[in-house]
Amino acid sequence: MSFLDSALYPFFVQRMPYLTILVFAGGMFLRVQRWWQGAPNGHGGRRLHPVASLKYFLLDVVLFRKTFRRNKGDWLLVFAFHGSVGAILFGHMRGFHLWSASMLGFLGEGWVEFMVHTLPIYMGWILIVSSLLLLVRRVRLEGRQLESLADDYLALTLVLAAAVVGQGMRLFPAVGGQVGPVDVVFIPRLIVLHLESPPSYHWFHWHVFLTQLFVIYTPFSKFIHILTGALSPMFYGSRRRELGLG
Amino acid sequence: MVDQDKVEELLRQFTRLELMEIDTCSHCALCTEKCPAYHVSGNPLHAPGVRLSRVSRMVAKKLGLRARILGGGEVSEEDVRDLSESAFHCTLCGRCMESCPFGFDTHGLWVKIRSLVRELGGLPENLVRLDGLLGETMNPYGLEPDTRLDWSLFADMDEVPEMEEAEVAYFVGCTTAYKSANHNVAVAIASLLEAQGESWTVLGEEEWCCGAPSAMSGNLEEAKRFAQHNVEALNSLGVKRVVTGCAGCYRMLRFEYPALLGGDPGFTVEHITQYLARLLGEGRLELERGSERVIYHDPCELGRLGGVVEEPRAVLRALTGELLEFEEHGVDSKCCGGGGLLQSVDGEMRLKVVRERLEEAVEKGAEILVSSCPACKLAFTDGVREFGFELEVLNLSELVARRLGVLG
Repeated sequence: MSFLDSALYPFFVQRMPYLTILVFAGGMFLRVQRWWQGAPNGHGGRRLHPVASLKYFLLDVVLFRKTFRRNKGDWLLVFAFHGSVGAILFGHMRGFHLWSASMLGFLGEGWVEFMVHTLPIYMGWILIVSSLLLLVRRVRLEGRQLESLADDYLALTLVLAAAVVGQGMRLFPAVGGQVGPVDVVFIPRLIVLHLESPPSYHWFHWHVFLTQLFVIYTPFSKFIHILTGALSPMFYGSRRRELGLG
Repeated sequence: MVDQDKVEELLRQFTRLELMEIDTCSHCALCTEKCPAYHVSGNPLHAPGVRLSRVSRMVAKKLGLRARILGGGEVSEEDVRDLSESAFHCTLCGRCMESCPFGFDTHGLWVKIRSLVRELGGLPENLVRLDGLLGETMNPYGLEPDTRLDWSLFADMDEVPEMEEAEVAYFVGCTTAYKSANHNVAVAIASLLEAQGESWTVLGEEEWCCGAPSAMSGNLEEAKRFAQHNVEALNSLGVKRVVTGCAGCYRMLRFEYPALLGGDPGFTVEHITQYLARLLGEGRLELERGSERVIYHDPCELGRLGGVVEEPRAVLRALTGELLEFEEHGVDSKCCGGGGLLQSVDGEMRLKVVRERLEEAVEKGAEILVSSCPACKLAFTDGVREFGFELEVLNLSELVARRLGVLG
């Protein structure tokens, strides 16, 4: 670890996670409080239909069915973006021991190697390219079909930056020095990242920093749709069910 | 000057779910291409996503973190004017809801935004007049209530029944009762009910506007008043089933009345297309199939917002062997331009929207354009007259009554 990396490590890895959790929790509290200022939900006593809600969540939110029907090009772009984000986040869960490569053993060694080491690099490229294209699309449609808030650009730029730094970490791994697994302890016994080998710290630190900014920014920005985006489709599904539209 | 405290108070009238939806909107514009108003105007203010961006800014200004710490930002007269331009250049067709990845109830949101604009003094002039007409005559056309049954003069029956008690009520609706282009629709439905030997009645002067125009102009209290009156009138006759030929009335009676009045109004509601499809299914109606090339237009309030998509087609398949479909039909149907009070705000825009639909019908080789809503029929009839299309415009009940020989 270089002198700069050694100086950054205590803050980005050991202190900032507490701040991140604190700001995220506080931000969510404020955001929910803001919604709570509204009138009680008046859906005329309509009840959520769980099966319809789940169906529409999967079809419309996970698979972007409505976008697919509307415009295949747009669908490819939004699905590539969100799909790669989802795949990358899922991949990260392995580092936090929420799943392991051995669970994929039934696929055979070659596939496991592909899924664990090669696919993430492809996903990284897909995320970077799709983020850039979404930015271009936003700029192109700005003032004609949409009116962005500053936050719309900031959020997308933050994702792009975190993706670029993350991809840098994969493409330029640490050379020499310590070998073998290493544990990065963000919060002892609670959030520990188990890496197969030491990362390239100058990429790693900035990736950790940007990722935490992402979490901090979520309650105050359009990232909130990651958490709330499932709720309206649940009501939408129930409404469709009520109308007998299946 | 815009009353800043009032803005804050009005923003709090959005429900919690709606405030969450306003924050959830990603301003992605995936809804824009589907919007009929934006499609013909190209004006960014008419894009649904831009409308929500504007409201989102207002919410942030008044209810956001910064507002709580440093005090709320100012909402200017220009903000209200722009929001009014945006909110009322909309047909309330609900197509944006069908393309929104999050499935927001945009129809409900737009009505709430109209309500906000109204309270802030941004209601378009013609809609202020509409308020007055509705208040005075209980219909949006300002015509005398005692002329509500004038259409019955054309009916081939002794007298349109105004009973003291009946199982079925025919809720005519203002656009059918007062617009001559739709008088045949009322005659057709009355004749069909009579031919079926139903114990039926009309409400006559006791039928008030269903409340849809008030709701669409953001006056939910007035809509509630109309709903209360109509429900009382129907209940006093012991009506168990209401049949209507109007898509807007159907949606109001079936879905909005229980929400506005907070409970079951005590009768079931059937659109005439559902009634006819049921009769066909029960073998109580036999139709001779013709060879006219008929294209069906789904009224937004009946199809997308009312869930009645298959029934009109079942009836039409019994009527013709040449049923055509628009490229965008059923739940995805494009608006005719006749909804959302657009005619009162921007008649030219309405005709532009109508024209697109008529052009497609003609390109498809249709001879008859059929819909199930008097507002659609009015819009199409105006469009055919304005642009000189060779196309007959009919309501489905007219076509059925004509085939049965009960309508000339």
